[in-house]
Amino acid sequence: MSHDEAGELLGAYALDAVDGEELTEVEAHLATCPRCRAELDTLREVAAAMGNSVEPLPEGLWSSIASRLPERDDDAEAPPMPRLASERRSPFRPPAGRTRRRRNVVAVLGAAAVAAAAVAVVLGIGLVRADDKVSGLQAAAGQTSAVHAALGAPGHTLVDLDTPSHVQLARFVVLPDGRGYLVSSSAPTLSADQTYQLWGIVGKEPISLGLLGDSPRQAAFTMAGATRPSQLSITAEPSGGSVSPTGPILATGTV
Amino acid sequence: MSHLDEVSDAQLVTSVARYSEVALAELYRRHGGAVYGLAKRVLQNAAEAEDVTQEVFLRLWNQPDRFDPDRGSLRSFLLAQAHGRAVDAVRSSSSRRARESRDAMRTAEAPYDMQHEVWDLAVADQVAHAMGELPDEERRAIELAYFDGRTYREVARLLDQPEGTVKSRIRNGMRRMRAVLADAGIRGVDA
Repeated sequence: MSHDEAGELLGAYALDAVDGEELTEVEAHLATCPRCRAELDTLREVAAAMGNSVEPLPEGLWSSIASRLPERDDDAEAPPMPRLASERRSPFRPPAGRTRRRRNVVAVLGAAAVAAAAVAVVLGIGLVRADDKVSGLQAAAGQTSAVHAALGAPGHTLVDLDTPSHVQLARFVVLPDGRGYLVSSSAPTLSADQTYQLWGIVGKEPISLGLLGDSPRQAAFTMAGATRPSQLSITAEPSGGSVSPTGPILATGTV
Repeated sequence: MSHLDEVSDAQLVTSVARYSEVALAELYRRHGGAVYGLAKRVLQNAAEAEDVTQEVFLRLWNQPDRFDPDRGSLRSFLLAQAHGRAVDAVRSSSSRRARESRDAMRTAEAPYDMQHEVWDLAVADQVAHAMGELPDEERRAIELAYFDGRTYREVARLLDQPEGTVKSRIRNGMRRMRAVLADAGIRGVDA
């Protein structure tokens, strides 16, 4: 989808009025275009202004929400003091589902420790890209049977990577030994100077699991080491890939 | 926490990220009514609107990192989440049917009247004014999409207009609204 076509759709997109393939395409463009993201942000504020009508809250709704918050592991401490927004962590913020962890664990595992743990993860990466024409074709047959074998293997996990609007972009199967394969993908084709890149999120740190090409159809990766990612995420990056994500997360899934 | 009132939304979200239930409760106090109000307006159903409100605040608890204060206010972030969820629900066929039968029971089309419900009359006045300034066909397309949860293609069918025309009307109307609201100094729309 071109910049102009995406621009045409931004108004409708801000109202959640785009669906289907167009939705995937406009989100793929947004992921790569800061100008459109900025315009979307202001259009969302306009939508919020229109939708900003307060109703009295039903009784009992808060208790119902509070009762669904996971149990605290530590109950004696006062809530932590607020910190300033400028102290936020790295710009890469994985949309992680989480449960309450023990605060002492969090305290011990400071950002530096988490980063060190992430570095200790050894990742061997083997990728088959559909656009590696000759070797790709040869590998394809082997890979298809590998995917089938993985889907039948005991202990396999399916990881669905969904966009923020709940569209499934890709599904991977991950085996207990750390091997993973792309099962299916609906990711739209990127422009030639871009590639999808797969990340494993360890702690809060994204570790590259490899490039998926501009139109992912097949991919295999291996995660070695004791620390396994809690999430898989996909971004769009300049072809050649990035050391750390430069684009926003297009889709993410919990391992 | 006697000065909770003075703590910014962004600071409270940072506290939520550190498992502060008090911070979440304060954010619910500030924004819960707006989240619930929008969900109820789209869904036309109080119980479903409560479900959406729950989901939005549980999600803020589970994924506070999704809010980026550099990209807009927390209120608009939460309303966008609420709207997305409400629209998902209303587009499932059973909800749509239920909603349509409720719609059918309503007698006339309600006037655009925010005076009863709004949290900030000054802003509401400006928004109502900006909506009123729009050409009818742009306002109608935006209302059907936003408040009825229709896709722009559905809006095109309902209004018997080409899809491209409706897409442009929505975009132009939104931009016009943004200009009027920015002139009025409404926060966040002036970029």
